[in-house]
This record gives sequence, structure tokens and C-alpha cells, in this order.
Amino acid sequence: MTPNSGTGTSATRRLGVLVIVLVISLALFGLQFSAEDVVQGSTVRIMYVHVPSIWTAYIAFFLTAVCSGVYLSRRQRSLAWDRVAGASAEIGVLFVAVSLVTGSLWGRLTWGTYWVWDARLTSTAFLFITYVGYLAVRRLDGTHRQRARRSSVMALLAVLEIPLVHFSVNLWRSLHQDASVADPNAKVKLDGLMLFSLFLGLVTFTLLFVWLVLHRQRTMLLEDSFADRGLDVAIAERRNEAGVQ
Amino acid sequence: MDLTPRTNDESSVASKKKRRWIPIVMVVAAMSAGGVVVTKFLTSAIDYYCNVDEVGSRAGCEGDRRLRVQGIVEEGSVQQQDGGTSFVMVFNLEKIKVVYAGDPGGVFQECIPVVAHGRVVDGTFESDRIEVKHSNSYVEKNKTRLDTANEEAAACSVLEG
Repeated sequence: MTPNSGTGTSATRRLGVLVIVLVISLALFGLQFSAEDVVQGSTVRIMYVHVPSIWTAYIAFFLTAVCSGVYLSRRQRSLAWDRVAGASAEIGVLFVAVSLVTGSLWGRLTWGTYWVWDARLTSTAFLFITYVGYLAVRRLDGTHRQRARRSSVMALLAVLEIPLVHFSVNLWRSLHQDASVADPNAKVKLDGLMLFSLFLGLVTFTLLFVWLVLHRQRTMLLEDSFADRGLDVAIAERRNEAGVQ
Repeated sequence: MDLTPRTNDESSVASKKKRRWIPIVMVVAAMSAGGVVVTKFLTSAIDYYCNVDEVGSRAGCEGDRRLRVQGIVEEGSVQQQDGGTSFVMVFNLEKIKVVYAGDPGGVFQECIPVVAHGRVVDGTFESDRIEVKHSNSYVEKNKTRLDTANEEAAACSVLEG
């Protein structure tokens, strides 16, 4: 890809169309076809966004850690790994925010309160803040390689929070229900289309994440290229000024 | 050789300096926010989290201190009058009466797990905050009434221990 081209390819355009179809399907299954819960009523429909959004955030932060690890471990460190790590973290932060907001609304309707300082909610808020900090570190002054080195180390440390968040409901007594989707031992019961709608949400959000990361890491490549070009121009100007060829 | 891009525009220089500070401010703000979150969690943890059967028997669950007590709302025990709510909370066959000055909100009902914040006064748990828990079970509302009734009855007896 040249710096002047866009961020889309035929593959990403096809993926984008698939994501649009899946989002529409999820809206139909989540809001129309799946039944209300006997206790929560229609409130249960928040689950089809809340659970997939935190699931996607976990994937995003895990990908950030993997790319950061690859960047640090390779002899010839390619900034492409760093850009994917950064793009993935940005989108992960977005999905954690969605999870926190939808969880808060769900909590108000089921628990009777928007927020409690219990283990799951607190650790999720801490995860969000950690990755906001990671994004801030990426913006600190320095070269692309300094940025990549600093943020890679931080990403490898921050990812350790994910097991803490996920299993916090087992480690501490919590108002939040136990781990469900990613826990094979959990006694989960989802009637009829509820389980299918949740699964559809997981697939939809995961593919949406892939689409967003592909575009965002290409945008980052353009940003890096733009910054490099600015430096090249400055060097040329100084050379001209000094009469150096 | 100085490779810094030249500019005569002072406002541009000031703007760049300002932009340079923003990430540092964000890092400091994130660290401060993290500290606040951890502090809030630890402060909240001061109220010991006990099951009904642990009140007065487990270390940290003494009745004379502020507690968070979790249990199941006993079937047929909910009474609402003068804007207040009282009910019996049960866990592992142990019971405690709870009084709360208000409507608990959420999906509060019989046979549902709740967490009550407060303290024990003369054998009654005087609560100033009720939170309703929800399990991992999601049951369709339009199933046959008999199925639902059977499941709810079974769930209530299982939850109560």
C-alpha cells in the first residue's frame, strides 16, 4: 500500500458488507425474535451487546500483547506489529467502554443500581483505565521505535489483568453473575434463541473488530508515513540551507 | 546539524508544546484514576461480605459491625407498607429478617438472591441498600406456565440451600 492510497481493499469491503448483514441480523434476533426473560423481561436483550463487547475487548487486548511480544522478540523489529498492537488496543478500549456503559444500564434495571465497587466492575474499570494509559504512552514524544518499545512492554504487563477481570467473580464474592460464556464449568442456561442470539453477537462483534483493526492499522501506517515525510522535508531544507548536497 | 523543522509561527510552536503535554497529562490522569478505583474498591471491601448463615459465626461477620449480607428472598415473606419493605433472607437453611426503608428496585422479588448492606439491630438486619443478584439462567417468558412454575419452585428451594 502506498501512502497515498486509501485503507480499504476488496477483502475489507466484502468483510464490511458481511458485518453490516450480521449487525442487522443481530438487531432482529436480539430485539425481535428472541424471547423476553421470565425475571428480567426485555432487559435481557442488553446481554447481546454487553457480553460480546467485553469478549471482543479481551480478544483485542490479547492481540495487542501477542503483536507486542512478536515486535520485541524479532531481531528485525517491524513496526507493522506495533501498529496492529496499537490499533487493536484502541478498538479494545472502545469495546470496554461499550461494555461498561451497557453493564451499568443493565445493572440499574436488574440490580437496582448503576454501579457497585465489587470485584468484577472494579477490575473492568481498572482494565479500561490501564489501556487508556497505554494509548497515552503511545502518544508520548519520541521516534516510532521508541513508541513501539515502550508500548510493547506495557502491553505485555497490562494483558495480565484479563484473567484477573474474568475470574474476579470466582476469586471474590460479587454482585455480578459468575463467568459464563468462557467458562466450561459454569452452569449456564439460555433458552431457545437466547443462546443463538448471544452466539450471533459474539461472531458479529469479533468480525466488526477485525474490520476496524484492518482499517485502523492502515490509517496508522499513513500517519507514520506522513510524520516520516515531514522529517525528510526538514532534513532537505537544512541540507539546502547548509549547502550540503 | 539541527534538524528541527523551522517555523516562524509562534502560535504553532506553542500549540506543539501544548500537544506534547497532553499525553503526559493523560498518563498522569490514568494513573490517578487507577488509584481512585483501587481505593474505592478497598474502601468498599471494608463492609465484610457474608452469607446469612455466617452472620455472627464467621470471623469478620460479627453482628455489631456494618456488613454486606447475601441470601435468597424467602417465598411469601415480602411485605411492603408505609413506603418500606421487609422480607426474610435465607441461606443454607439459616434465616434473618431484613427491613429496608424504600423499594429495593431492580428485579427484586421472592426467590431471588439479594445483597443487603447494613447492620444487625436486635436480631433484625436494618439495611440502607439492597442490590439484586441475577444468576446465569435465562428462561423464556412465553414457556408454559406449568414449566415456569415448576422451575421457579425448584430454583427457590435449591437457592435456599
